[in-house]
Amino acid sequence: MSARALFAAIVLLLLVSAPGAAPTQGQTPRVVEITAERFEFWPSEITVAEGEAVELRIRSDDTMHGFRIVGAGTNVLVPKRGKGYAVARFTGSRPGRYTFECNRMCGAGHNFMRGVLVVGAAGADAP
Amino acid sequence: MNSAHQKLWFLLPAIVAVLAPSPAAAQETDQGYPATGPISGYMDFHFNKADGENGVLDFHRFVLILNHGFSPRLRFVGELELEHAFVEGLEEGGELELEQAYIDFLLSRAMNVRAGMLLMPVGIINERHEPPVFNGVERPFVDTVIVPSTWFDVGAGVHGELGAGWRYRAYVVAPLNALEFTAEEGIRGGRQKGSEANVRNVAYTARVEYRGIRALTLGASMWAGEGSFVAPRLDTGVTVGEFDARFRRNRLELRWQFAQVEIADAVRLNDVLSRTSGVSPNIARTLRGFYSEAAYRLWNAGPPRDLVAFARYENFDTQFRMPEGLVPLKQFDRDAWVTGVTYYPDPDIAVKADYVYLRNRSGLFPNRHLVNLGLGWWF
Repeated sequence: MSARALFAAIVLLLLVSAPGAAPTQGQTPRVVEITAERFEFWPSEITVAEGEAVELRIRSDDTMHGFRIVGAGTNVLVPKRGKGYAVARFTGSRPGRYTFECNRMCGAGHNFMRGVLVVGAAGADAP
Repeated sequence: MNSAHQKLWFLLPAIVAVLAPSPAAAQETDQGYPATGPISGYMDFHFNKADGENGVLDFHRFVLILNHGFSPRLRFVGELELEHAFVEGLEEGGELELEQAYIDFLLSRAMNVRAGMLLMPVGIINERHEPPVFNGVERPFVDTVIVPSTWFDVGAGVHGELGAGWRYRAYVVAPLNALEFTAEEGIRGGRQKGSEANVRNVAYTARVEYRGIRALTLGASMWAGEGSFVAPRLDTGVTVGEFDARFRRNRLELRWQFAQVEIADAVRLNDVLSRTSGVSPNIARTLRGFYSEAAYRLWNAGPPRDLVAFARYENFDTQFRMPEGLVPLKQFDRDAWVTGVTYYPDPDIAVKADYVYLRNRSGLFPNRHLVNLGLGWWF
C-alpha cells in the first residue's frame, strides 16, 4: 500500500468515527429537555437528524401529563411538578414529521397539547 | 340568504374536507379508540370579606370536564359549570352553564377544525381560568369587566401551530347582544352563551401567540362583530383588542395584559335603550383596562413546599371614552392593588389568600378594602 493510499484510509477512518456520523451501537443519544404545561409542550418542534437517537426528558410544570409519539409506540407518563421527569427515546430512522401529544386528559385545553419531531428533511406527516 | 348565513356556509367545504379520510389518518392506528374519560374538572370556594360588610362564604365554581375520543383525530370536550352552588329560577341563586362543548377535527399541526361551544380566545385568563393557574382568589378585574370571562359562545373555526413558536386560533361565533351592555360591567351582559343565540350577524375572533423564546409567551387577540340584532336600525359594531405577555423563569413570573373595547354608534345605542327603559344606560364608546403582575416563588422545593407571593396592579375603566352628550360615571373608573400568596400542597391544589384595595375616581363612592381566602383544585 502506498503512503498516499494509507493516508486516504486514515482520513476516511477519522471521518467515519467523527461526531455526526451515522450512529453506532452504544452511541450516547442527544438529550432534549421538554417542558409540559397545560396546555403546551415547549419546545413544541424538535428537529432530529436522520438516523440520530435522542433522549427526550419531559418535565411537567404543573400536573401529570402523558407523552405519546403517534405511530412510534412511545407512551410515557410525565410526573407532576417537583416529582422528576419522564424519559422517552426516539431514533429518527426515516424522514418525516412525527406528532407527539399529551395523551392523559389534563383539562379542557388538552387537545392543544401537541408538538412535532421533524426528522431530516421535513416531509409529509408520518403516522 | 343573508350575509351571516353566507359567511357560515363557507365553512361547509372545510368540514367536508375534514371528514373525508386523509392518507395520513388512514395510517394512524385507532388502537384505544373510541375512548371516554376520565372525567376531570376544577372547583373552588371562597371567603370574601369587604370592609363594613359581612363575610361571604361561597362555593363559587364546580366544573366537570367530559371528553370522548371517537378516533385519534376526532375528539369531544365538554365543560359543565355550576356557579354559586345552587340554581333557582331566573338565576337568582347561581348559574348552570355549558361553557365548552366542541368537537376537534385534528388534521395537521398547522390546521385543525373546532366546532361547538367555544371559549373566546381573548386574553390570558379566558381560556385558562382554573384556580391553580392564576394568582388571587378571584380572577383579575380586567378579565371580568373588560374581557368578560368566562366568555363562551357557539361557533366554529380553526386552530394550529405554524412553526417557529407561532400558534393561532380563529373562529366564527355568535355575536354579543348590545342591548344588554351596561355602564358598570361593559359588554359582559351581552354574551348570548349559545342559548338560542341570534346569528343575524356573526362575529369573528382570533388569537395569535408567539412561544419561540423559552419562558416567554406573547399574545394578541381580537373579537369583532355586530351586536344590535334586536334593534334593526342600530349598527352597533363591537371590537375588542387585547395584548398580553407572560414570562416565567426559575422563581419569577411576570404577567401583563392590555384590553380595549370599542363600541360603534354608542350614541344611538344609548338613545334606543333610553327610549325603551326610560333611563340612560350611560354606555361608553371605549372601555379600557390593563394590569401588571409580578409573582415570586418564595418556597421552591416542589410540593408540598411550594409557596408563591404576588402583587398585581389593575386599572380598568368602563367609561373610558363616552359618546357625545354623555358624561362618564367616575365610580366606574377604577384601579386596584391585589397582593397575596398562593400555597400549593400539590400542583393541582391552590390555597390562596389576598388583600384587595379597590379605588374609584368618584368622590361619592368610597374605596373598598377586601380580604379573600380561597381553596381551588383541578384534576
